[in-house]
Amino acid sequence: MTVAGRASGRAGDKRAAAGQIGLLVGGLVLLAVVTVLSMGIGARPVPPSEVVRALFDYQGTDDHVIVRDVRGPRSLLAIAVGAALAVAGALIQTLARNPLAEPGILGVTAGAGFAVTVGSALGLAAGQTGQLGFAVIGSVLAALLVAAVGRRSPLRLVLTGVALTAVLSGVALGLRLMLPDVFDTYRFWSVGSLAAREQASLALPLTAIVVCLCGALLLSRALNALTLGESVAHTLGAGVGRVRAVALVLITVLCAAATAVAGPILFVGLIVPHLVRKPAAGSVPWLVLYTMVLGPVLMLVADIGSRVLLPTGEVPVGIVTAFLGGPMLIWAVRRYGAGAL
Amino acid sequence: MSIRRSSGLIGAVSLALILAGCGSSSDGGSDAASEKDKTRVFAADNGKITIPVDPKRVVATGYAVPALIEADAPLVGISSWKRGEPMMSDEDLAEYKKLTKVAGEQAAETNYEAIAEAEPDLIVIGVPAPVLGDIDVKRLESIAPVVAIGPTLPSAWRDLSRKQADAAGALEKFDAGQKAYEAKAAELATKYKDVLPQLKLGHVGAYGEVAKGTFQREFGGSWGTNIAEDLGAKYYGKVKKAGSGSSAVSEYPSVEELPEAFGEADVLTYSVNADGSVPEAVQYVLDSKLWKNLPAVKAGKTFPLRYTEAATYGQAMKTLDAIDTSFAPLLKR
Repeated sequence: MTVAGRASGRAGDKRAAAGQIGLLVGGLVLLAVVTVLSMGIGARPVPPSEVVRALFDYQGTDDHVIVRDVRGPRSLLAIAVGAALAVAGALIQTLARNPLAEPGILGVTAGAGFAVTVGSALGLAAGQTGQLGFAVIGSVLAALLVAAVGRRSPLRLVLTGVALTAVLSGVALGLRLMLPDVFDTYRFWSVGSLAAREQASLALPLTAIVVCLCGALLLSRALNALTLGESVAHTLGAGVGRVRAVALVLITVLCAAATAVAGPILFVGLIVPHLVRKPAAGSVPWLVLYTMVLGPVLMLVADIGSRVLLPTGEVPVGIVTAFLGGPMLIWAVRRYGAGAL
Repeated sequence: MSIRRSSGLIGAVSLALILAGCGSSSDGGSDAASEKDKTRVFAADNGKITIPVDPKRVVATGYAVPALIEADAPLVGISSWKRGEPMMSDEDLAEYKKLTKVAGEQAAETNYEAIAEAEPDLIVIGVPAPVLGDIDVKRLESIAPVVAIGPTLPSAWRDLSRKQADAAGALEKFDAGQKAYEAKAAELATKYKDVLPQLKLGHVGAYGEVAKGTFQREFGGSWGTNIAEDLGAKYYGKVKKAGSGSSAVSEYPSVEELPEAFGEADVLTYSVNADGSVPEAVQYVLDSKLWKNLPAVKAGKTFPLRYTEAATYGQAMKTLDAIDTSFAPLLKR
C-alpha cells in the first residue's frame, strides 16, 4: 500500500470512528429526550418544563411526586431493563454465532416462569417481592443448568436451552392448569410490565444490571476476537473458555435481573442487536455500546405506548414490544438483507 | 278343590286391597300429595320458571348459598363459597360446613351427578348472568326446576337475596333478618346524622390491579359503600364510563389519578380483609406518596372498612358494626 493509500485509509477510519461516535452521542440525546417524554406522558399529563422542574427544583406538588416517585423509577427501570436485555441479546448472538439467539434461549425466562409458578403454588410468591425472588432463583438455576450441560459448544448450549425451556414451560403450564389461583397470579407476571414497580425494592437487581453492563463493555474486546473463530482467537491470545464463561455469567445475570423485575419481555434482546449491527460494523464493543443506548430507547418508547395506546388503561409493555419487535425485525432483514444477520 | 281354594284367596286379597284403599283416602293422603305438587310461576334471570310452592329439597350455588343458609331454607346441597366464610355467623358456618358440596367455587366446577344424587325439587343458581354460560342449565333442568338469580349491581343484594329466599320458600326468617338490619342501620344513621351527611367521602376498593398500577375507586352503591350509605354517608362522584354490574359503580384508574379521584374528599375509606389485614391492592395505594399528599389523609380522616363484600342481611349486620367501630372517631371531632 502506498503512503497516500495509507493516509487515505487512516482518514477513512477516522471518519468512520467520528461517525460512530456521532451516532452514539445522537443516541444518547435521543435517550434523554425519550426519558423526559416518558416522565411526562401518562394518565396525568405533565408538561416537559414541569418534568425538568421536578427533577431539579422539587416542590412536592402532585406533578412533582408523579415525576419523581412514580414515573422516575419506572423510566429508570425501563432504561435498565432495555439495556440489560439488549446487551444480553448482543452477547448471546455473538457467543452462539446465531443471529436468532436471544437471552431466553438459555432457559432463563422459562426458569423464571417455572419458579414463579411453583412459588405461587406454594403460596410464597403472591406479592411483587416474592415473585422477584422466585424469578431470580429460577432464572439463575436454569441458566446454570444450561451452562453446565452445554458449555462445550455454542450449538450444544442453544439446544440445551431450548430443551430445558420446553420441559420447564410444559411442567409450569400443567401446574397452572391444575391450580386456577396460580394461573391468576402468573398471568399478570407473564405478560411483562413496568407498571407499579416504583414501590418494589429494585436496588439489588438494578445494581446487578449496572455491574454486568460494565462487565460486558470490558469483555467486548475479547469477544471481538472470538467472532473471528476459536482458532484465531487462541492465536490472538484470548482465553476462549474463560471469555465464554464470563459472557455466560453476564448474560444470565442481565437476563435474570431484567426478567425478575419486569417479567418476560420478548423481542428486545433479539431485535436491538440487529438494528445496530450495521453501524457497529462488526465491532463487538460498538455493538455493545449501541445496544446499551438503543435498548433503553426502544423500551421507553414501548412503555410510553403502553400508557397511551388504549383509552381504557395500560397495555403491558411486553405486548407492545412484541407488536413493535416483529415488524422491526422484518424491516431490519429487508433493509440490511441477510448480511445484517 | 284347589280351584275353589284359589278363588277364595283372590277374593280375600281383593277385599283387603279395597279396604286398604278406602283407609288411605280417608287419612287425607291425596291432600298431602296435591300440596306437594302445588306449583307457581317464578320470574328469574333464565325466564319464567314453574317451581314448587313449598320446596323441600333445595340446591343452592354462588351468592344463593349464604342467603339461603341464613334464611333456613331446606338445603340438601350447596356450592363451595369460601369467600363468604369469614362473614358467616358461627351457626351458619357450621351449617355451611355440614352441607353436601355439589359444586366448586367456579360455576364451571358444577358436579351434575352430585346434584342429581341430592334429589332436589328446586335448584337456585346465584351467579352473574354472564357466568351462567359456564353451567349446563338444560342438564340441571332435567333434574329439577332451575331458577337463576344472580348479582347485578352490588347494592342489589337486598332484592336478590329476598328473591332467592322467596324462591326457596324461606321468607319468614329472611324478613326477620331484614328488619333487624334496618333497625340497626336506622339507629346508626341517627347516631351519625350530625356528621356523616355533611362529608364528602371516597372509597378505595380491594380489587385494584397492582401489576397494572391501578386502584379501585368505588362510588355510591358499590360493595364498599352501599352499607355505609344506609348510615347517611355520601360518596361523591360517578364512573367516567359506566358499564354493567359492578363497573356501573366502580372504576380502575391509574394510581397517578389519585389526586383527581380523592382530592375533594373530606373522608376516605378503604376495604380491608375480614381479619383487618390490608389487601395488596389497597396497600399499594396506601404506600403511594400521592395518597399521603391527599388532604383527607393529611387530616387523618382515613378509615378501614371490614366486611365490605356483605351480600345478605346477616353479613351486613357485621358490616354495620365494623363501620360503627371505624367511624367512631368522627363523633369525637
